[in-house]
Amino acid sequence: MKTVSVLRLILGAAFALLSLGAVAHADTLDDIKKAGKIRIAIDLAIPPFGMTDDKMQAAGSDVDLARLLAKDLGVALEIVTTTGPSRIPMLQTNKADLVVSTLSITPDRAKVVDFSLPYADHPSVVAGMKSATIKQLSDLDGKKVAVVRGTTQDSDLTQKAKGAQLVRYEDDATMALAFASGQVDIIATARSLLPAISKKNPARTLEPKITMQTNYLAIGLRKDEPKLLAWVNNWVRTNLQNGKLVAIYKQHHGIDIDPALLLKAGG
Amino acid sequence: MSYKFDFAFMADRWPDFVAGAWLTIQLTVLSIALGFALGTVCALARVYGGPVVRRLVGAYVEAIRNTPLLIQIFIVYFGLSSLGLKLSADVSAVIALTVNMGAYSTEIMRAGIQSIQRTQLEAADCLGLTRLQTILHVVLLPAMERVYPALSSQFVLLMLASSITSQISVEELTATANLVQSDTYRSFEVYVVVAVVYLALSALYRFAFWLIGLGLFERKRRLGTPL
Repeated sequence: MKTVSVLRLILGAAFALLSLGAVAHADTLDDIKKAGKIRIAIDLAIPPFGMTDDKMQAAGSDVDLARLLAKDLGVALEIVTTTGPSRIPMLQTNKADLVVSTLSITPDRAKVVDFSLPYADHPSVVAGMKSATIKQLSDLDGKKVAVVRGTTQDSDLTQKAKGAQLVRYEDDATMALAFASGQVDIIATARSLLPAISKKNPARTLEPKITMQTNYLAIGLRKDEPKLLAWVNNWVRTNLQNGKLVAIYKQHHGIDIDPALLLKAGG
Repeated sequence: MSYKFDFAFMADRWPDFVAGAWLTIQLTVLSIALGFALGTVCALARVYGGPVVRRLVGAYVEAIRNTPLLIQIFIVYFGLSSLGLKLSADVSAVIALTVNMGAYSTEIMRAGIQSIQRTQLEAADCLGLTRLQTILHVVLLPAMERVYPALSSQFVLLMLASSITSQISVEELTATANLVQSDTYRSFEVYVVVAVVYLALSALYRFAFWLIGLGLFERKRRLGTPL
């Protein structure tokens, strides 16, 4: 008898937990408001989007965007640090409510997460040293090209530059280090990253050689969160139009983004 | 709680996992063999060498055993490259893993060598064996037999630790997992698959070391008992 009742207790507790989980899954926006904090996954190793400043505080355009979003939602911000390959798993496994981490909109990703309206455009380029003659993707044949695993540059070059020898690193910092230390001479990355890498290595200055494609950066959400998605979309539209997101981008990247173009791209 | 497992990606991607596992095996078998040879020489130097040699080997062992493997790998791959010595990721990985393995097996083999009883060495002296003959025939093999369980654990640990060489773009098993995960977004499934492959590799390594042990240690083969 005793074992039966213990078993029943365990089963009961398990069901209680299961149903709690189901409730928690139901509506993230309500949960965020109830908890009084929003968990946003940001990669802090991609300056100037996400980085750690000289006071060891999170900084960058994605970080400022996340801060503004949390402030407007009226909750505290909890930054969940992530890496390129683990951005989407962070959402899937409910380790974060949103991903604001240079996440480009792609059809593959749209199958597993929802995207907000784009908040910035993001061209990706193949870059090399001034002396290198690279004009088209076929010029990469037989050359080592560094990419970050799982990025759009990785999948683009895997498909379109079959002759190139792709060297895959886990994050931008490691890839930048590989370039700085001379392990590779060509990298495929976001244009936004080039000034930061060049500034730290005056002897090895990068310049963009080929523009592969222009992606749009958006905030990533778990699927089936209509309330949260509507709120985030509205927030992006408002803050593009009032110039706050443009100002954040200008401050960190020195580039003016075009709100009209982005709203058009987002439909 | 509503997670649905989907292993469909394995139909297309299993050759990637096989290639990754094969590179893991190549890297680690090479590093284990080289590292064990290095460790044995260092252990002999640490026990029988002069004071300077002993200090040098001691410094090497402590430096390696008290720093993270990831940092050692970065030093070989990025550090040497900054100095102008460009080594490929695979070669850097083998060097770092060998140096790491060497330090641990130095300590393990030293324990084995020091466990050989003085009477056994005196017996070798009485038989007129030279120093080299004594070390080869009387000291090394029994020493190795005594510490063989510890050695084989360390070898398996190195195989598992080789997963962090994915950080310097070595396309071994973990790097394959990260690549497939980033293509398919089935992260949970991919890491489950890779965990099972590592488990199988560990079992394979343990079985191989058991066979090698039977081949090497005649006494154990006959009696089946540890020394």
